This record gives sequence, structure tokens and C-alpha cells, in this order.
Amino acid sequence: MIAINRNSDLKQQANDAVKIKIVGIGGAGSNALDRIALDGLENIMLVSLNTDVQSLDSSVAGKKIQLGRSTTRGLGCGGDPELGYTACKEAEAEIRKAFEDTGMVFLCVGLGGGTGSGSAPLVASLAKEQGALVIALATMPFNFEGKRRSQQALEALALLQEEADVVICFDNDKMGDSVPPKAGIHQAFASADQFISQSVKTISNLFTRPGLIRIGFDDLAMALRNNNARCLFGYGESDGDNRVHDALTRALKNPLMDRGRMLADAQNVLVNIAGGPAMTLNEVQILMDELGKHINDCAQILFGTAVDARMGNKVSVAIITSIGDGQTAQVRQATPRQRHTPTPAPAPEPVQTPVPEPVEEPAMEAIQQESEPLQEVEPVAVPIDEPAAQSESEPVYAQEPETFSDETLEPESDPAGRDESTEYEAEPVSAATGESQQEALLDLAAEKPAEDVAPTPVTVTRSRKFAFPVPAKPVLQSPPVLTRKAAPEPRQETLQFEPVTRGRFEKSEPTIIDGQDLDVPTFLRRNVRVK
Amino acid sequence: MGNDSLIVGLEIGTSKICVVVGETMDDGTVSIIGVGQAPSRGVRKGEIVDFDTAQKCVREALVDAEEKGDVTIENVFLAITGSHISSFNNRGGVNIKEEQEEIGEADCALVQASAKQVSLPSPNIFIHSILQHYYIDGQEGILNPLGFIGERLEADFHIIHGVRNRIQNTIRCVKELDIIVEDVVFNPVATAQVVLNQNQKNLGALVLDIGGGTTDYIVYVDGVVKKSGVLAVGGDHINNDISMGLRIPLARAEKLKIDEGSAILGNNLPGETVFLKDDHGFVGKEIERETLNMIIHMRMRELFEMLKRMLEEEDYLELLGAGIFLTGGTSLLRGINHLATEVFEAIPVHLTHAQTIAGVTAVSSNPQFSTAIGLIKYAQALQMGRPVGLLSRLKKRIFGRSR
Repeated sequence: MIAINRNSDLKQQANDAVKIKIVGIGGAGSNALDRIALDGLENIMLVSLNTDVQSLDSSVAGKKIQLGRSTTRGLGCGGDPELGYTACKEAEAEIRKAFEDTGMVFLCVGLGGGTGSGSAPLVASLAKEQGALVIALATMPFNFEGKRRSQQALEALALLQEEADVVICFDNDKMGDSVPPKAGIHQAFASADQFISQSVKTISNLFTRPGLIRIGFDDLAMALRNNNARCLFGYGESDGDNRVHDALTRALKNPLMDRGRMLADAQNVLVNIAGGPAMTLNEVQILMDELGKHINDCAQILFGTAVDARMGNKVSVAIITSIGDGQTAQVRQATPRQRHTPTPAPAPEPVQTPVPEPVEEPAMEAIQQESEPLQEVEPVAVPIDEPAAQSESEPVYAQEPETFSDETLEPESDPAGRDESTEYEAEPVSAATGESQQEALLDLAAEKPAEDVAPTPVTVTRSRKFAFPVPAKPVLQSPPVLTRKAAPEPRQETLQFEPVTRGRFEKSEPTIIDGQDLDVPTFLRRNVRVK
Repeated sequence: MGNDSLIVGLEIGTSKICVVVGETMDDGTVSIIGVGQAPSRGVRKGEIVDFDTAQKCVREALVDAEEKGDVTIENVFLAITGSHISSFNNRGGVNIKEEQEEIGEADCALVQASAKQVSLPSPNIFIHSILQHYYIDGQEGILNPLGFIGERLEADFHIIHGVRNRIQNTIRCVKELDIIVEDVVFNPVATAQVVLNQNQKNLGALVLDIGGGTTDYIVYVDGVVKKSGVLAVGGDHINNDISMGLRIPLARAEKLKIDEGSAILGNNLPGETVFLKDDHGFVGKEIERETLNMIIHMRMRELFEMLKRMLEEEDYLELLGAGIFLTGGTSLLRGINHLATEVFEAIPVHLTHAQTIAGVTAVSSNPQFSTAIGLIKYAQALQMGRPVGLLSRLKKRIFGRSR
């Protein structure tokens, strides 16, 4: 199909486009770097920043920058963030130079100490000055390290969140849960580093891998939009017979995932599935269905999939999301909605869409099964469109056919459709990232938003979970839970077979437990249709 | 031959009748020397519904075992099950006479008798009363009260009872073949003997013997039986479901289940089908795999969920340290352990068969024979009078059976 050609193009593009650097700050940061180096990442440069020369020397990073040559004179900061900040200020020029010509920076830092807490926000801002996307992976100190340290860590985190585009926060205490209680302390720390390494790898893969449905930076930002919240991150891969199931189970088993229980609270969930060429659509569907059981119905799923020959027989699943803590989540929930509303506001332009709509409709109907879900949506959309220009939902529906057309009708409507959808998708991001990022985003995310909104040929079947734009939007118009699910419930009720038959057990003593006759086939009692 | 060291276990199952002949060695181990089996007819949900047919099948199986083991079977231990069997825990107590120095065996027997001073439904009789713990003057956790000094001796018992006539019927079926029934044993009690080791019993374990007509379960916590019972749902139900759902004959349904069925969903491509051959080997009917598996899945999931609910009610679920042990013929179903893991979440699930038995290993490694082999282990423990575990200590004093 067309998609395949485009993918091979994309691959080259991506490789050329994004230059990734991984920066480790302070002791914890350089430990994480070592781990990342050990795990091996291609085409990625490692930069180590530290005040402590000894530690810096032993680092495996390709580039090392000593902070505070004169302030700390090769010693550590002694847990003083102020000192860390001054030290970093001193090396400002050098750091800036290191970030020249870089597309994306991963900032690995252990917060709570001096060097890390003090310099991380500054480093993040320097990297951003150079036009790079900054993804910070911060580890919070253990509880037993004392209140002071965690206070410092929290302050630094707040600063970092202002500077970096995305902050993924790992809680060391949580990390402790992932190692068996008898494991040595080095193993516990190693597992934390391993975790960071895995996240870096996963995220960088998200952007560098050729994607059938690509995950863009905006998706990531969306998934992690709850500032100051817990980041849930899960990654699993498997190549067994039951690989999809296994991969998902592993992903959910990650300590930050809490077996998927936390997922239920997430509002935006980013899911990326990568696999070898042998990965089937069916597998993807199974996986998403299964994952859907863990996810709230109203949650928006940011879905991406990639085929990578290097994966061989393996299938990998990455799940990234964040949830607020209790009431913070409530507050945040409200904010993004308000942020959304301005998005429809510029909508008057796309209002013309009803015009192209009828034009495209016949075309689309001709196009394979995809017309099916569309028909489902349109009758709803049209009545709303006509009477109410004020209706907020309108641009949403208006866009949907557009993006579909973008996918299916290719060249003509392409530029227009893309522009719009990009604008729409990018909006929430700009709220989180700042305008300057927008350009870089477009580079990076290249084709992505369009693809994300409109299922590529791959997602033809569109199981309900796949329909990203749709489930998210009803939330906009109706605050309470009312989702799309309420409208077309496809579960078909079957008529109960007249006299309930018990087959072989007809003449034997019935087994009745909790009021149910267990001799009657379960599927009959539950009204499940069997062909 | 009348060899004293011969022990024969007989299980009249819903789908087949198993006879296992074991021989006790001088060192106390048991070796299996012969196995007989015959497909079972006239049995539903673990109970005989057609006496003559069932008797024929039992004879067939016994003859088979005699031939294979080159022995003459004169007496057997008989496993029984059926939805009429149920259980509860009860505490009995006696006051020790003041002039008495220390607690003796007679007192233990009295305690047990007092524990059975409960009113069973009138048609029911005791099958087992299994000791859990002794208490002396309220002091907990005494395993063996003999020789202790105290004023009041109490003990917790797990009491298993069933309907007299139904048990009698099963016994009669064997007796009429001129075979002496030495003892009747509730299925899971026997099964647990060979499926669990003492360590697992101490950690806490659930044995699920999913057979043809029934699912027998027994819960061990702290090394003692806490709960046992029967759910009259088994592999037969799956066959019946498939037969009704796909509209194919029962026998065909069973074969389809064994050859192609699985308890987990989502492993098949949509539209992937199996061809059902007719009697002449021609392709008859085409059946979608997912549909087949859905039928199986729903039935098994319901079964596991029912068990889970039941255990949850009494808070046994978190006490199962060693996990859940699946055995019995239906445990051979593909994916059943995955499904169980899914339902029981954090609890480890194991597929097991008879352990710690020498002899024909092909037999002991088949979960279908777990119960029959368990009978031998049970009988051996009785004969040796040697405590193998807390449970078996009490074995030699089994009351309340009737012949």
C-alpha cells in the first residue's frame, strides 16, 4: 500500500532530522548515563555534566563538562543547590555550545542534591535556547533521605517543569518496590537507572522509528500534561507465542504502572506499539482491546504504531501517561478543557467544512470500509452543525471528515487538512511548551498529527478504542461522563432461547448456585451471541 | 493373592473410571504397579445415575487393572464426590478429670466425638472429620496434646459430610462386584495427598481438581484443611456448552475441545476456522476458533470467578501462599492456567499432577490420575499409622463412615 512507500521515506527523514543528546547532570545523572551507554543507543551522544571531577572522570560519556571550575574546584556541591546553580552558571558558555545543533535533549538528573537540583533547570533553559526539545527525566530522592532533600527536590522539580518541555518524574521509593526485598542496594539503584535508560530508549524510539501511525512530541506532551503529577510509564516486549499479551502484561507490570490500576485515572494515554514486519493488525487490535480494559472510557488514547525490521519477531508496547495527585488532578482536568475551548474559537474558518463535506462524502463511501464509522459520526455531526454555530463541538466534527480526506484523498486536500489538524493538535502543546517550540515540533512531528487523527489504512476497522478524536471530544461538550459509548452500543441482544435447554444435563439434578442454573451454558445465560 | 502390601485406589469419575494398584515398599514408599481405566457411563456430576451401566464400567476398569498389574484385586479405597458433599469447621471440647495426670488418647477421641455433636441434616453422615488444631486451656496451636497437663482440651475439626444413601449407592456398586471397600475418601482429600507437599500445605494452598463432572476443591492453610467442597461443574459442562452452541454431537464436542479448544481468547485471527471432520473423515462443518474458545472461556471463567468469590467471602484468598494447584482431567485444557491466573490475579497458579510417587511415571504425571493415586497415598498413611502430615495423623481415626 501507499503507506509502505511513505514509511521508507520517513525513515530517512527521521534519521537525518533529529539529533538527540542525552545529558546526565550530577552523580545520579551520570550513573544513569552509564547505564544508557551500557544498554547501547545508536547515533546518540552522551554528555555528562558534573561538579565532582572524580565522578566525571569515571563517566563513560562522550562529552564531559566540568561545572564550577572555580566555585567548587573539582569537588561536589555538598547538597547545596545554590552552589550548584552558580557552578553551572560558570560553565554556561560551554554547555550552550554542547547543545548547538541538537534536536532533542534528554536530561537525566537526580533531584535533591546540589549539582542536580541547582543546575538542571538552568541546563534545561540553555538547551531550549538552542532550540532543542527538552525532556527531563528526574528521579526524586528516597523518603529516608530526609525532608530537606525532598523539599529541595520538589523546588527543583517545579523550576525544571517551567523550563523543560516534558518532565518525567521517577520516584525512587516506587523504584524500590520493583526489586525483590533481598536484592542488594546496588541492584536497587541499578534498577532505577535501568528504568531511566529504558524510558530514554523508548521515547527516542518513538520519534526516530518510522511509524505507520507516528507518535509525535505533541502527543507525548499531551500524555504528560498533568504537571506535578505522577508519570506512569510502562514498557514491555515479548516474542513468544502469546507475544502481544505478554508484552502488555510486562508493560503493565512496570513499577510505575501498578499493574495498570493507576491507568484508570489517566486522562490521556500514549500507547506505542512497535513490532517486526510480521506484526498483524489483529494483534494490535487484541492488544488495544485488552489495554482498553484498564483505561477509563473517557480517556484519550494517543496511539502510535511502528514497524521496524530490527525488532524481528518481537512486539513491544510502550505506555506513557500521567495522573494528577487526587485533587490536583481535578483541577488539571478542568484546565485542559478550558484550554481546549479556545481551540474551537478560531474555528469559524474551518466552518466552511460543511461545504467540502458533501463533496467528499461520495468519495469516501467508495473507499472501503472506512465509510462505516464515518456514517456513524456524520448524522450526529450534521444536525449539530446546522442549527448551532455556537456549538463547540462543531469544529471537531468538521475536522474529522477533513482529516479523513487528508488521508484518503491524498494530494488536493492535503495541505489544507494538514495545516488545520496540526494547528488543532499543537494547541494544547503550545500551552505547555511555549511558542518557540512550535517550529521544531512541526519538523519532528512532520506528518504525524494528521495521521494520528485519521486512522491510516492500518486502523481500518476502528475498534471503538481506536477512535481517538471522537471519544475525547464528547467530553468537551458534556462535562459528565457521557461518552461515545453511550450512543452506538454495538452489543447485540439475542432473544433468549425459548425453553432454556440444559442438554446433557436435562435429566440430572440441577446445579443451582447463586440463583443460576449452571447446567445451562454460560454463553446462553449471559446472552452472548454464538454463531 | 491377598497381598497385604497391595493398595488399590478406585475413582468412579464422570468421564472415566480409574483404578490404580500400588505396592508399599518396606521403606514406606509406594510404587504403582498397575493402572486400569475404562470410560465411564451412567455417571453424572460424579454420581451414579445408571447403576447397572456404571457397574459394568467399574468391572471393566478393575479387570483392566488386574491384567495390567498382574494382581487380584480384593479390596479398594473408594473416592467419592458429588454436589451433596459439604463441609464446615467445628470446635469440640472436653474437661479433663482432675485426678488425671496428663491428657491421653482417650481424651483426644472424646474431643473429636464432641466436635461431631452437631446436627447434620438428617440424611447426612460424616465422611471425614479432620483435625486442625488443639487448644489446651485456651492455649492455641498445640499440635499434639498427648502428655500435656490441662483442665480443658479443645480441638478444631474440619468436618466433611454427605448424603448417606448416595454414598451407599456408590459403595454398593463396588461391593456387588465382590470387592471390599476398605474406606471411602472424599476426592480432594485424596488428591491433596499427592499434589501438595507439607511445605505447600503450610504456606497455604488451594487444590482444584477439575474433573469431568465436578470441580472438587480443598483449601489448606497453616498445614491444615480449612475448607473443602464440590462444585458440580466440570469438563462435561464444557462439552455440553460446545455441543449446544455449535450444534454438534456431544462426543464430537468433546473431541473438538481436546484437539482444538483453548480457554484463552484473542490468540486467533478473526475468521480462523477449524474443520470438523465427520465420521468418514470428510470435512463436515467449519467452526470459527474464536467462537469455540469463547464458549470454553466463558464457562471456565465463570467457574473460577465463582470459586474466587467463595474464597473471598471467607478471606482465604490472601492466605494461599503456595498458590493454586490445578489438576484433574480438565486441567489439561489449553490455556486454563492462564485464565486462572487472570481471574485469581496475584496468586500463582500451578498445573500439577501426583508427585512423590514411584512406579509408572506416565501415570503419575497425568493429572487425570491424581485422585486415584492420592487414594493410595492416603491408604498407605493409614496403614503405616505413621503421621505424614497433620491431616494423616487423624486418618487412622476416621469415624462416622458407614458401610
